[in-house]
Amino acid sequence: MLLAAFLLNIPKINILEHTARNLYFHVPMWFTLMAAVFVSAYHSFQVLRTGEILRDIRALQAARIGAFFGILGLVTGIVWSKFTWYVGTDIWWNFDPRQSMVSLQLLIYGAYFVLRGALDDPTKRARIAAVYNLFAATTTPFLLYVIPRQMESLHPGAEGNPAFSEITHPIMRLVFYPAIIGFIGLFWIMYTQRVRTALLKNRVSHDPEL
Amino acid sequence: MAPSTMNIQDAQDASQATAYDSLWAGSEVPTQALSEMEQVMLSNDKLYVVLAVVLIIWIGIMILLLRNDARLKSVERTMEEQGTSFDDGL
Repeated sequence: MLLAAFLLNIPKINILEHTARNLYFHVPMWFTLMAAVFVSAYHSFQVLRTGEILRDIRALQAARIGAFFGILGLVTGIVWSKFTWYVGTDIWWNFDPRQSMVSLQLLIYGAYFVLRGALDDPTKRARIAAVYNLFAATTTPFLLYVIPRQMESLHPGAEGNPAFSEITHPIMRLVFYPAIIGFIGLFWIMYTQRVRTALLKNRVSHDPEL
Repeated sequence: MAPSTMNIQDAQDASQATAYDSLWAGSEVPTQALSEMEQVMLSNDKLYVVLAVVLIIWIGIMILLLRNDARLKSVERTMEEQGTSFDDGL
């Protein structure tokens, strides 16, 4: 399945030229992050609702892998903008609102991992981490989608910029949508792998922390 | 002219740009000579930018996979220490 996800995404990029192709790689990172945040928040909610503390592991691993995809998206965004919009300026980071907000969001998730690591009692840890994770998940749509749209930005949909639906050629959607599905599938595989490893570890050593 | 009232198209370089991104609008003409790295990255219709982005993601995913593998291995080791056998004749 992992192989399929790679093979599905890679050969198709030869359809078009130019950096517009980054649409297939940079943008799905953010869709994946959003999916991960949903999964993570769902399991955190379930921890609080049912008290099944093992679900805390699911929330943690989803958040971890989501944050990882977020970092990848951020780095690729930096590279893309440096050689496309900031040519001849020596700028790598120009405080594009969406870029800044996303970094802030990743820091919020960084705090989640630290907070979780700071607590020893498993039950308490699961509950407190779940509450914080729900907070982190609520800020995500605002920081990623609402605020950046209100400000001037390089990104589509920002003030004065056309939104995705107005500028994207149909042929790019042909690759773009499978790419999103592929990357989210990749996230799902890695996430379930980690959860299964954690549950296995829990069974042999009564400690599900990875 | 105060920077706040200046049209973004008049910005000569980064120091005159507005607080957040408006720089691209005024950067139709590069404001300084391209660095060597930029010359490489911009050749072939900026295809190398795509290459860099894809490589970052590939390497990132490889790292993630290797870390998964390391974790799985540590669990396997614990199980072996406990005498649980994995040897199914494979």
